[in-house]
Amino acid sequence: MTTPFLHINGLRKVYGNVVATDHVELAISKGEFMTFLGPSGSGKSTTLYILAGFQDPTAGDILLQGRSLLSTPSHKRNIGMVFQRYTLFPHLSVGENVAFPLRVRRAGKDEIDRKVKKALKLVRLDGFEDRMPANMSGGQQQRVALARALVYDPPVLLMDEPLSALDKKLREEIQFEIRRIHQETGVTILYVTHDQEEALRLSDRIAIFNKGKIEQVGTGPELYANPATHFVADFIGDSAFLGGELAAIADDRATLRFADGEVLAGVPLHGTGTAGDKAELMLRPERIELAAGPGREGATLPVVVEDVTFLGNNSTVTARTGWGDALTVRLNFGHPMIGSVARGDRLHVQWQPKDAHVFVKP
Amino acid sequence: MSIIRLALPNRGRGGSGLALAMPAVLLLLAFFVIPVAMLLLRSITEPEPGLQNYAALVGSPTYAKVFLNTFFVAGIVTLITVLIAFPVAWALTIMPRPWAAVIFAIIILSMWTNLLARTYAWMVLLQQTGLINRILISIGIIDQPLQLTNNLIGVTIGMVYIMLPFMILPLLGVIRKIDPSILQAAALCGATRWQALTRVLLPLATPGIASGGLMVFVMSLGYFVTPSLLGGTANMMLAELIAQQVQSLVNWGMGGAAAFILLVVTLGLYAVQLRFFEAREGTR
Ligand SMILES: Nc1ncnc2c1ncn2[C@@H]1O[C@H](COP(=O)(O)OP(=O)(O)O)[C@@H](O)[C@H]1O
Ligand SMILES: [Mg+2]
Repeated sequence: MTTPFLHINGLRKVYGNVVATDHVELAISKGEFMTFLGPSGSGKSTTLYILAGFQDPTAGDILLQGRSLLSTPSHKRNIGMVFQRYTLFPHLSVGENVAFPLRVRRAGKDEIDRKVKKALKLVRLDGFEDRMPANMSGGQQQRVALARALVYDPPVLLMDEPLSALDKKLREEIQFEIRRIHQETGVTILYVTHDQEEALRLSDRIAIFNKGKIEQVGTGPELYANPATHFVADFIGDSAFLGGELAAIADDRATLRFADGEVLAGVPLHGTGTAGDKAELMLRPERIELAAGPGREGATLPVVVEDVTFLGNNSTVTARTGWGDALTVRLNFGHPMIGSVARGDRLHVQWQPKDAHVFVKP
Repeated sequence: MSIIRLALPNRGRGGSGLALAMPAVLLLLAFFVIPVAMLLLRSITEPEPGLQNYAALVGSPTYAKVFLNTFFVAGIVTLITVLIAFPVAWALTIMPRPWAAVIFAIIILSMWTNLLARTYAWMVLLQQTGLINRILISIGIIDQPLQLTNNLIGVTIGMVYIMLPFMILPLLGVIRKIDPSILQAAALCGATRWQALTRVLLPLATPGIASGGLMVFVMSLGYFVTPSLLGGTANMMLAELIAQQVQSLVNWGMGGAAAFILLVVTLGLYAVQLRFFEAREGTR
């Protein structure tokens, strides 16, 4: 195996009796855009802070091109970082903020001028050199922070929820800029967010964090199509979970029995279990068909319509199974049933067995 | 400071503002303006009308030495206080909460303890056979006791101690407001601890250093107890001169003139500070 560009090796960090991260293991290629996605408190920032050198790990190592970073203090790691909060130096102008990393490195005046100009141009803020940070919007400040973090050409750029303080429209605008900057510079980026849409939009690969551990690593489509755990299935995309019991297992296919006696066979199984274990069937809303009666092929279940919401390009139908679990079905605009479906209708949902997943409950 | 603000002409306020301020204005008149006016009057009328009191104060080497002592000691005290208070305030900001709370309480309590008692305590510590000299001799740094009282060294040590809280509190105010991630950002940008201190922390703490420093300097100018107990008779400071003139020599003219000079210097320094802060606020 070749040495990965950046190797997070069995990282563990304990604060008192809180395990912030546990056995975090990740190999990142040069130029990759890797996102840590997970709920608040799942250890994403802790991992980033250890990379930055603000925290020492309890166990494990960080290797950049095969060499451990742990004994190098923050200011010598040559890593760039954009923080969640605005961290521009309030007493320095935009130009001086971006020049700061070069000044502390004692770069020459010409080099500073040239690189500051280039970095500000990269974030489309050329001409803002003399502005003070206090006179800029949040989005502009984060772009200056990005310029400041890139001006010294760091091999790795860390970003800890840099857009979480901005409103949705601005966030999307800057996400687009970040993608462009990643493509233009080729810098390796580790990006932290709790917003799945942001993760899917930006990343080459996503590491899903839960309770200090990585649940799964993969590209967006991989994670969406093949979630390894219930948590990943729940976190990426909105899905319905129908509770039941494992009736039988053959190879990696399960037969599931629901509370009202309904039985489904041949569903892909994730994880291990034995007959009698509690399990859940996961369905993606766009994979479910709504029909008046039971279909001839695929799996099918009777449901009662509970609510219909028109959302422009699609309508969302919320329905309930005989034993009380809710699921949503998405009808694209133009679907023949839009307009006729109503609350209280007794219909059937159907899907292809390969599109459903069964997760055994721990 | 609010007193000074009130005493300045009221800008852009209507008559109702003046009416509301009436009690304060009366209070100022009774306890501040009238006594000061009387002092000023006596300084130019006693023993006879004219500016001879001021001429004497400015002209004579004896008095010049008093002024020099006063400004010198106040300056040194301010400088040392800043140098000690800054790390203390910084440590209080980054140390774990419970510890910081305890140390903060000690600092506040020491401000409430009687000034005379604290100054006497320093006399005991600093005298020839005092604890400090004994420790220095026993660990072999010196072999003769140092003369630490009855001179400006004693005054400086005693005053620094008394002034420290007045410096630490405003510094804490500004340092606590600095977001720690700004310093983390500086570190990742490549700044050494020293560079982060001089290029980020100090500039951001400047308003606190300025206001604390000015307060300490002005208070030091007018201090009486510590210089008279720890300074001895040879190194008189301005407050002692005023007391001596008024109490021992019953020379209200000379005492008034010295006090008036002190007042003018103090007000001048405050005016500088007000301008400084208003200029800063204006850029925000
Ligand atoms: N400095 C700290 N001291 C104590 N506990 C901490 C500290 N930093 C983080 N934690 C705890 O570690 C866990 C992970 O936190 P964090 O890495 O910040 O999560 P995330 O960034 O995913 O929201 C949380 O339970 C948090 O409370
Ligand atoms: Mg976080």
